[in-house]
Order: sequence, then structure tokens, then C-alpha cells
Amino acid sequence: MTKKFSLTPYLFLIPALVVIAVFVVYPIFAVLYYSFTDYSIVTPPVWVGLKNYTWLIHDTIFWRSLAHSFVYLLVTPILIVLSVLLAIVVNRKLPGIHLYRALFFIPVISGSIAVGIAWRLMLDTNGIINAILLSVGILKEPMQWLAEPALTLPFCMALTIWLGVGYYMMIFLAGLQNIPEELYDAAMLDGCNSWQKHRFVTIPGLRPQITFVAVISSLAALQVFNEVFTLTGGLGGLLQSAYTVVFYLWQQAFRLSHAGKASAIAMVLLAITLAFSIFNIRLLEKGTEAD
Amino acid sequence: MRTKLLTLLLLVSVLVTGCATATTQAPAASSIPPTPETIVITSAPQTIVKTVISEVMVTPTPLPNPEAVIQGVEPNAVIKFWTFWLSPTFDQYIKDTIARFNQAYPGVTVNWEDHQATFQDDLKASFAAGNAPDAINLSVSEGWVSDYASQGLLLPLDDKVPQNVKDLYFPGLWNEQLIDGVNYQFPWYQGINVYLINHQIYDQTGLTIDDFPKNWTDLPALCATIKEKTGTLCDIRLTVNDLISQMVYEGNVKPISDDGKSFTFDSADAVAWLQQYVDMVKAGTVDKTVLVTDQDRVGLDLFTSGKAAFYATGPNLIREVRANNPGLYGYLGVVPAPVGKSGVIGKGLMSISINAQTKFPNASIALAQFFTNPKSMLEFSKIVSIYPSTPDSYTDLFFSAAPVAIEDSAKPFAMDAISKYADIVPTIPHKADVNAIVLKHVQDALFNNVPAQQAFTDAVTEANKLLP
Repeated sequence: MTKKFSLTPYLFLIPALVVIAVFVVYPIFAVLYYSFTDYSIVTPPVWVGLKNYTWLIHDTIFWRSLAHSFVYLLVTPILIVLSVLLAIVVNRKLPGIHLYRALFFIPVISGSIAVGIAWRLMLDTNGIINAILLSVGILKEPMQWLAEPALTLPFCMALTIWLGVGYYMMIFLAGLQNIPEELYDAAMLDGCNSWQKHRFVTIPGLRPQITFVAVISSLAALQVFNEVFTLTGGLGGLLQSAYTVVFYLWQQAFRLSHAGKASAIAMVLLAITLAFSIFNIRLLEKGTEAD
Repeated sequence: MRTKLLTLLLLVSVLVTGCATATTQAPAASSIPPTPETIVITSAPQTIVKTVISEVMVTPTPLPNPEAVIQGVEPNAVIKFWTFWLSPTFDQYIKDTIARFNQAYPGVTVNWEDHQATFQDDLKASFAAGNAPDAINLSVSEGWVSDYASQGLLLPLDDKVPQNVKDLYFPGLWNEQLIDGVNYQFPWYQGINVYLINHQIYDQTGLTIDDFPKNWTDLPALCATIKEKTGTLCDIRLTVNDLISQMVYEGNVKPISDDGKSFTFDSADAVAWLQQYVDMVKAGTVDKTVLVTDQDRVGLDLFTSGKAAFYATGPNLIREVRANNPGLYGYLGVVPAPVGKSGVIGKGLMSISINAQTKFPNASIALAQFFTNPKSMLEFSKIVSIYPSTPDSYTDLFFSAAPVAIEDSAKPFAMDAISKYADIVPTIPHKADVNAIVLKHVQDALFNNVPAQQAFTDAVTEANKLLP
């Protein structure tokens, strides 16, 4: 028996497809085209073939930025561990627990630019961090924290973690509340201690959320910009110490007006994030099947 | 009954008087020439009609508005005007000036927008989208005029502006930022390069305001003293988006060969210029984050927070200090900026340029010229400590009066200083790219122990690859 074709579902899909076509598909193809041009944004693009990609291969700052972006991926496992721990902590029926959940979520709704500026002020030579360290005698004179190339990227990563942990905690909290209580009861009857209950019940139960968080947080880490921009005052750190791929892309496009080169960087980033996402999902799905 | 009659008479007389007044003050709508019986005394923009012999009232034709100096303004032109960071503080001034402009050039509609931190991004996007503003407020000191003009986006003005109008401006300002010998900007408001002093910190050094360095080369010694006596760092900023210009003014560096075929900023002058900053960084006497930030606000904020002894800025930004830290305002001092090795004390600050693709070039030129004319400049100067680009503005008593507020400290010497402003930086091909290369290597010297000579040799080698 042949199934009758129905147009109705496709009609329902049209609005979403139009939005995706306009705001996702078209920009991707436009950027692909611009990546083969010399384009200064304000003047029409001129076709240059593979010149931008050749430049990219030989550009040391691009490779440094790419390396920084991969280092930035370290925020993903840290975020997962911290937010799972926090979710477990706040997944209790205690008086005032909603207040704690709200407090942990505040950085998420504060906005990365505002938080970045606040962190910048705290890390300033005359900021509160120096004031505390000087008052307890750890420092003898104030440090210029954000002027230390070795510290700039770690500070940006710390900011990302601080900003994101509350959001991911909420995702894990939702996951925790979906784990049947009976599983914990069974584990207890089997003699599991507290750690073993989490090891054998909580973590496997959270695997879908862990997959989701791993993918979205690593993609966010590869595309980090706001934290770098605000903490370094738009400079990217002394000696390009906090340059990431997206920061370098922005600098090429909007500071140097090389939209063609920026588009080439964007295409490389697209390929990396695509490959990374597929790898990430496959790896975690494999783990799910093994369970 | 008698009261009613009196009231009626009073009402009629008021109505008659009102109608007569309205007739006298009505704008000239027709072109009836004045009769011999009527003498018209014009004191623009008001017209007074004095009747001498007969009682005949004639609608007068006003003389041309003396501020309407641009001919051929397109009728019913609608022009878009963008300013940089002037709203909301100067909304009233801008609106009033546009209203005066409308009196001088009736029929032109001006749509004004103020853009702030995203000005450059917005402007580039608007050029890309083909809806860029007709008249644009661009910074001369940050090199925006040369950037946009060299890409063919701005209208050349030399052959479109009459000589008598060009003569309204200081020649040094009209002729700065020339691209291949052509001017693309009306010089607008200017700043006097001064250093704001925070006496709360500065006085702890035991120095007086008269001891402040007169030459740029004396700054390192002052910073060392400040660090030693007060424990604070110097709030000095490199112009990271235009280091080439900074080394030319401060270090008298020749950046490019006369034939334009090779860069020459690896000379002994350039190395000496960079070495001065390297020495300050090594001595730990400057705030490193401020030194290389591309945002002037970062340095200004540090000063405004009361944590720096001095900062190079313009008197116009004293209002920021007063608004954000009134407690510091009473401790402010102002000194002229130290002069660099070039001996040139500065260059222009702000300008208004015209979009090369504007549909209404004459109306746009008229607007740019109107905002930068002596009267508009003078009015602007009265509400904020900026300085006109037009010598005539300085003949007003406002500039000859003795300064009262700290913001006015530069008034007595402003005209002399601004008349000497000049752009001594030659045209630099691929300027933004060259500056990015220079910044990278300057950072290597400042923070990575690369010798200054090596840094500039590398920078010149890299920059020369951009030349044909």
C-alpha cells in the first residue's frame, strides 16, 4: 500500500525554513563567497581565489589564535564537573534552596559584557583583588593582572566558567529530577555509598544532558568573544595572549576592514566546529550505547 | 452696560493690534519690492521695517542670510547627518543649529543621528548597505578621514567649496589629512592638548605645576618620581590605532621614504622613540593596560577614578571628571601638553565629511559648512570647552575674557595653539595594516624583551611587503 503524499506538514515547516534560509543558509554561502574575495565591507568585493586561505596558512597570529581557542575548550570539562556538582548540591529539599538556585543563576542573566566589565574592574591595578591580597600581605605591591600575558587567557576562561555554570547547573538539575527515586533506593539496598550512588546512578542518568552540555559549551568555547573583548579592553591581551579565532576574525573584519580574510577564518572555524560537534556527539552516543 | 461696552472696545483693540503686529512680523512670502516710502533695515536673521512717509505696509524681502554661503543647494533635499558621541549632552545645541540651518537653507530636511561606541562599525555597515549618511562627523586625530577618503568614500571638497569659505578656517586645519593633495573634511571642533593634573597625587611628589615637563622626553623622569613618591603608575596611552602618527609627532620620525617605495620607521629616531616607552615599562612606572588600550575612555576612567596623577586629554573632557567624580574636580589642574621632538604641538580633532555617493552634495556641504562656521563654533564653545576651527570665532569677548572655571584654562592661548596645528604625517599606504604591524612589534619590544631596533627592523620588513 502506498502512502498518500500530504503537503500539510511541509506548509507548517515553511516559516521555519524561510527563517533558517535567510538567517543561516544564505549567510553561510555569502561568507563562503566573500572568503574568495578581497572585501573591505565598504567597497564591493573583488575575486582573489584562494589568496585569503593561502594567507591564513602562513599567518602566525591565526595559528596562535586557533591554539588559544583549543586551549579554551578546557572550560567544557570544568563546566560539566562544576555544574553537575552544583546541581547535586541544590537538588535537595532544604529550606531556602530556591534562593541558592537563583543565586547561582544570576551570572547567566547578568550579561557577559556587564560581568566582563565588573571583572575587569576587580582585576584592575586598583581593584578589589589587589586590595585584598595587599591587605593580607600576599602581595607587596599591586599586580597588573590583565597585563600579564600568561594570565589573560586563564582569566577569560574563568569568566566563561563563572558565567555559564549556573545555566548548565539548571540543565543538570532538570536531568536529576527526572532520575527515578527508585534507582537510588535500589542502589542503597545494594549497599552503594553516596559516591557510588552518583557514580552508578546519577552520572549514567545524566548522560543525555552531559552530551548536550558538552556540545553546546564546547561550541561556545570555540566561539568565545565577549569575555576576551571586555577583559582586554578590545586589545586581545598583551602580545596577542588572549586572541581566539573569533576575536581575530572580528579584528580582521571590523578593525582592519579585511572582510575577505575574516570570511576565510569563519569558514575554517565552521569546518572545525562542524567536525568537532560530529565527533563529540558520536563519542558520547557511543558511550550511551555501551551503557 | 457701560462695562460690557468697554470690554468690547478693549477686545476689538487687542484684536486690531494683534493683526497689525502679525502683518509686520510676517516672513517675506512674496517678492513685492520695497517701495521708496519704506526703508528696510536688516539685521539678520531679524528684519525690521521702519515706515517713514506713508502709512503703506509692504512685505519686505530679506537680504540673503549671511550664513548661507553655499550656492546651488538642492531644493527639498533630505540629508542624513551622523555625529559621534554628542547625544544627549548636546542635543539642544545640535537641534538649535539645525533649526538655524533651516532658516538659512529653507526646504532642506536634516535627519540627525548620534552614534557612540559602535560608530565605526555602524558607519562601515551603512556604507556596505548603501545607506551611509550624507554628512559624517569623523575624527581627524584617529585617522578616520584618511581611512575613508583613501577608499573613495568621501567627497573631495577643494573644487566644490568657494575660496572665501575655505578662508574661514585655519589653513593648517583645512589642509590637514590631505589625500593626494585633496581635502575631504570641514574642520569642526578642536581640542587643546593639555594634561589634567590630580593635585591630590601630584602634589605628593613635591613638584609644582610649573615643574610639569615641557618636553615629551622628560615624562619618564616624572613617572619615576610619581612611582617613587606616591606608588601610583603613570596613566599614559599610546595611540595604538595610529602609532605611526604618534611616532611622527613625538619622535620626529620619518615613516616612509619620499618616493613612497619603502617604510623608514626603523631609523634611529624611531628606535629612540620606542626605547623611551620600553624604559618606562621596564621601570614599572606606567600602567601597561592603559598604555596599549585602543580606548581613550580606559585611560580617562583611571584618571577620573582619582588613581592617576595626570592624563593627556582635552579640556572638553573635564566635564566627564566633574560628572563622574565631583570630589576630584576641585583638585584638578591643567597644563599644556609636553611638546614632542617634531615641535608641532598637535593636529585637528573632529571634522565633518561628505559621503561621496550623496544625492544632495550641495545641501550636505552646506550643512557641514554651517555646523563649522564661526557662529556655530562660537555657540558650541560657550557650552563646552572645545575650540573653533575658525579664526573669526575668537574675536568674540567670550575668548578674551579671563578664565574662571578650570575648563576655560586653555582659552587665552587656544587661538595661538590651534593656528599652529598641522598634520605632518605623510600619506601612508595601507595605513590600518601598517599600524597593526607596528603595534604587534611595538608590543614585542615593550613586553617581550625584543630590542627596539629589532622590533622596528622586523616591522619595516613586514610592512614593506604591503607596498607595490
